Amino acid sequence: MINLAQKDVSHSLGKFLVTAMGVGMLLGIVLIMIGVYRGMVVDAEILIGDINADLWVVQENTMGPFAESSRVHEDLKDSISVIDGVKYSEAITFQNIQLPKGTMPVRVMAVGYDPFGNINPINPNRLIKGSKLTKDHYQIVVSKETGFKMHDEIVLARDRYEVVGITEKTVSSGGDLLVYISLKDAQKIQFLYSNSRVRNDRERGITGNDTTMVNAIIATLKSGYNTDDVATNIKEWKHKSVYTKQEQEDILTKNLIERASKQIGLFTAILILVSTIIIALIIYTMTLEKMKEISIMKLIGIPNSIIIKMIVQETLLLGVLAFISGNIFSHLIYEKFPKRVVLEIPDAWMLFIVVIIASILSSFIGVKKVISADPAAAIGG
Amino acid sequence: MSQQSIRVENLVKNFGEGDSRVDVIDGASFSVDKGELIALIAPSGAGKTTLLMMIGCVQEPTSGQIWLGDEKVYDNKWLSKDTRTIRREKIGFIFQAHYLIPFLNVIDNITLLPQANGQTKEEAEKFAMELLEYLDIADKAHAMSSQLSGGQNQRVAIARALANKPKIILADEPTAALDTERSVSVVQMLKKIAIEQDVAIIMVTHDNAMLPLCDRILKIEDKKVVSSKVMKDTSMI
Ligand SMILES: Nc1ncnc2c1ncn2[C@@H]1O[C@H](COP(=O)(O)OP(=O)(O)OP(=O)(O)O)[C@@H](O)[C@H]1O
Ligand SMILES: [Mg+2]
Repeated sequence: MINLAQKDVSHSLGKFLVTAMGVGMLLGIVLIMIGVYRGMVVDAEILIGDINADLWVVQENTMGPFAESSRVHEDLKDSISVIDGVKYSEAITFQNIQLPKGTMPVRVMAVGYDPFGNINPINPNRLIKGSKLTKDHYQIVVSKETGFKMHDEIVLARDRYEVVGITEKTVSSGGDLLVYISLKDAQKIQFLYSNSRVRNDRERGITGNDTTMVNAIIATLKSGYNTDDVATNIKEWKHKSVYTKQEQEDILTKNLIERASKQIGLFTAILILVSTIIIALIIYTMTLEKMKEISIMKLIGIPNSIIIKMIVQETLLLGVLAFISGNIFSHLIYEKFPKRVVLEIPDAWMLFIVVIIASILSSFIGVKKVISADPAAAIGG
Repeated sequence: MSQQSIRVENLVKNFGEGDSRVDVIDGASFSVDKGELIALIAPSGAGKTTLLMMIGCVQEPTSGQIWLGDEKVYDNKWLSKDTRTIRREKIGFIFQAHYLIPFLNVIDNITLLPQANGQTKEEAEKFAMELLEYLDIADKAHAMSSQLSGGQNQRVAIARALANKPKIILADEPTAALDTERSVSVVQMLKKIAIEQDVAIIMVTHDNAMLPLCDRILKIEDKKVVSSKVMKDTSMI
């Protein structure tokens, strides 16, 4: 049997391909949207993963330090370190700062840690040049994406910092690039940056904004100890909130990612709906264009099944071609996005199924048109 | 086995209802034998196309009876739910315009129906090539309709109508778009087909020059069909 769909498509191949590519771009954007979400999930866990602490001790009744602000005394680290089961404990700070760079400062998240401490928050696998911090002052490790090079000088709060190490793909849960400075520098920057705020706070009677505060104490455990038991112990004795690494990741996923996923999910759903409507419209007009031929075929006695097969095959072909070009399109452009986009194969297959279902639904419109076509209309009377 | 290929009894067709009702055919009775080439003539709007479409099981009559070959297909209603199968199996259609499928080439246009009817591609194409030879356009077998002249397209349309070896051909002004010379050759071809393949052909025409080539004339008069002999005009042959 002659394959009518193949003949029709090859007869107007250029038009068909351009149409498929157009729909494909829409599908490509759907893939990118899903990829942006996947990227956020990956990004959100980089910092927690790199620090790789067993426990996070933060200000009481907060979900800090990422989902909520948290302030604890630096010396808390000493009293944590003597708790049964704790191997090492260190103080850590997080603050958003601007790195001066030409006319466009780079917004980053600065991680402050003790260069001589026992927990190193820099993942050695991501350190592509130089070393971690080796001195207590004026050294900085930056993320490659900030654009700074080794031994560049960066002025922060009137001091000159030297770039001693470069990491790659290090970002905060909010997607800001990471830089690492010493705890002492971090406290100084925080203090100087907020001078006016400190004054303001003092006038209002708020004190305690001193430089010995940090955002969290992180701890690792000796082997053989149960994380939850140690966490409970700290909660009881120190009146702080304590989270395991897993809990900290869950907080991030819940608080930061969940809202983003709703946002992106809705966006994706609308895009898929728009793509479906567009596919349906294309099939509808493609069928309308062939109404004369369809009537003639019905008149001379061609069964509906053959005509319907043509419509359905063309729709599916359109869907498949659009899907393929959507994948090509998304792979061509995803690296150009400033934030991480992760394209995963299962997501593509999910979209494939959705596209096929959308195509089949769309083809119903064409099929309905075929069934209702009047053969007598073929000869215009 | 009767010699009759088409038989129509007391056929009535009206459009619309009440004040807007139009009676087009009102009690037509006639028959056409196998091998006969019939000219159907009447003024414009008299109902020639309508009559043809009723015989062709495309448009439903208001009442009456129709036989195609030995099968009664209409008795105040269609006797088969699937009139399209009757069309596919028994009837070849030719129109004023060729109505070829633009995205199929000549041979695919001709073999589409036989293949839909269950023939293999090979046998359908073999017969299609014979038809094209017969109609003298075998060299255009793989051309698209848009690359052919009006006369060539019309011959392809005739080949399509013949491809399924129908016993009835209904042709609605098949020569209207052709010059006299081409028209004569098309009608002569139809006559040849009628005789050689025992096919009954009804051909609507406005061209009196075609009449001498036909066996008989059916005329719609006062909403009825009357048969008359052909006045053989020797100057035409
Ligand atoms: N679907 C319809 N609804 C209403 N009236 C119709 C319809 N089809 C045809 N008619 C009417 O039936 C009459 C016969 O039409 P038909 O097309 O059969 O004429 P015809 O003899 O083929 O004319 P022509 O030589 O111009 O082709 C006309 O008056 C036309 O207006
Ligand atoms: Mg007509």
